[in-house]
Amino acid sequence: MATLVLDNGAYTAKIGYSQEKVSVIPNCQFRSKTSRLKTFTANQLDEIKDPSGLFYILPFQKGYLVNWDVQRKVWDHLFGKEMFKVEFADTSVIITEPYFNFSSIQESMNEILFEEYQFQSALRINAGSLSAHHYFHSKPSELCCLVVDSGFSFTHIAPYCRSKKMKDGICRINVGGKLLTNHLKEIISYRQLHVMDETHVINQVKEDVCYVSQQFYKDMEIAQLKGEENSVMRDYVLPDFSSIKKGFSKPREEMVYSGKYKTGEQILRLANERFAVPEMLFHPSDIGIQETGIPEAIVHSIQSLPEEMQPHFYQNIILTGGNTLFTGFRERLEAELRSLAPAHLPVSVQLPANPITYSWEGGKLLAHSPDYEEIVVTREDYEENGHCICEEKFDI
Amino acid sequence: MVLEKKGSARVEAGQRRVLDEATRQRRLTRQLEALEKDNFQDDPLSSLPPPGPTARLPAFSETEEPEKKKRKTRGDHFKQRFRKNFTTLLEEENLSEKAEPNYLSAVAPPSSLPPRHFCCVCGFPSHYTCTTCGGRYCSSKCLITHRETRCLKWTL
Ligand SMILES: Nc1ncnc2c1ncn2[C@@H]1O[C@H](COP(=O)(O)OP(=O)(O)O)[C@@H](O)[C@H]1O
Ligand SMILES: [Mg+2]
Ligand SMILES: [Zn+2]
Ligand SMILES: [Zn+2]
Repeated sequence: MATLVLDNGAYTAKIGYSQEKVSVIPNCQFRSKTSRLKTFTANQLDEIKDPSGLFYILPFQKGYLVNWDVQRKVWDHLFGKEMFKVEFADTSVIITEPYFNFSSIQESMNEILFEEYQFQSALRINAGSLSAHHYFHSKPSELCCLVVDSGFSFTHIAPYCRSKKMKDGICRINVGGKLLTNHLKEIISYRQLHVMDETHVINQVKEDVCYVSQQFYKDMEIAQLKGEENSVMRDYVLPDFSSIKKGFSKPREEMVYSGKYKTGEQILRLANERFAVPEMLFHPSDIGIQETGIPEAIVHSIQSLPEEMQPHFYQNIILTGGNTLFTGFRERLEAELRSLAPAHLPVSVQLPANPITYSWEGGKLLAHSPDYEEIVVTREDYEENGHCICEEKFDI
Repeated sequence: MVLEKKGSARVEAGQRRVLDEATRQRRLTRQLEALEKDNFQDDPLSSLPPPGPTARLPAFSETEEPEKKKRKTRGDHFKQRFRKNFTTLLEEENLSEKAEPNYLSAVAPPSSLPPRHFCCVCGFPSHYTCTTCGGRYCSSKCLITHRETRCLKWTL
């Protein structure tokens, strides 16, 4: 029997069979200005030649699955003959859900997996639990770990002691990649060029040029300097989707500091935007969200846990989710934690090779673990016992 | 600078309006809600010329209440409960009466660090507060831009 692992993120689905490699695919639908009647699903995004003004239809709202209509279209596409060719009666599925998922969503999930698709068996689990599994698998001597998952909708801090999720220590910051992109769009639109409709393009700008500052006020000073001395400043060449397919930062030696470029491309000039945007993860209050940033939230979480465990958590912090890919994220977090944590405790923050697929890889490992059959619910179980059996076995 | 002329008409009449705390709070809430939006433009489908027989797909809107004209087009899984938005689902969970930890209790507490202030025009650290709206600015140049553009934006 095959096992399909699906880390069902609000931005991308991380999907693949447990014997194979992972694919990262947009978990949404799109409409484009150029072919208005067609709705594109998931990786059909690649068929859109001119994705300017791309319109998004997302199944998630604030990190929770609310639009089943859209989600089903994406899943139908992923499971179907064009992609994973799932033989449901012969396939087990591992699928992720957010922490504290609403009970009504959990029930809908059971129904869709068992009644509509009719998977042979299923394991519903938090993405963070798969990451913890991955971590303990690669470091069998560690007792505890603290999973930081900073994705599209929000950021979670979640402590695990061996395979046990420490629910009381879970902490959510309502800042994720979506908010960062929207904020960047907003300030660029106000300061230089109207880009409110260009989520797709500006999201790429964010991933290409934003970074986490190690010396925030110093970088603010540099970003105010004129000409070449302003080492923070970048000129970003926007794509026109004909001759320039993808945007990019002008090499510094080609930058024109005063006056216009002769080349005629459309340019965004970015300075403090580059690091002020990811800064929201560290100081949500900068834009009026009255919540702690990630370093303080980690301390808050660890302090709620038994004292004898606390040193272990500070030493085993693992970063997952797309936002942790910002240059400087790990270093800044470790430095801030160093100054917040008790001085005698060592602090270690680890960034895996691929923080986006880290939890998927954990799911893959779990699928091969000897007691996998015991933690799933089979369709037979479900048909006999309904939602109860899922509530009992799954720890969401 | 992309000028947004909306607010300015209300401002120029000699005396400046001063927004009260409640209005400032509402304005902040609206700003934060805007940062949650999936799209700012209209659905390309809805801006098509009058629909022909092929244009049966419902156009998407992010408004809270489902529009009446949308009709259910398929069977079972369009049952009412599959169409609820986040706010409705959250209310139905009735979490304030449920055991902690839960979605509501897990949110990060306010920071114990002092708030930092940035110019709402240029984004650099700011030392001054606009007396009208409470927005921050860093220089008289930015104050002028602020007054011409955003000072009373987001207010009703
Ligand atoms: N290299 C990068 N730098 C900064 N942000 C990134 C990078 N790659 C992806 N992201 C952001 O990470 C977010 C998605 O992260 P992910 O963990 O896949 O989310 P989810 O699991 O919620 O779908 C998006 O907002 C995306 O813009
Ligand atoms: Mg995720
Ligand atoms: Zn300013
Ligand atoms: Zn003002």
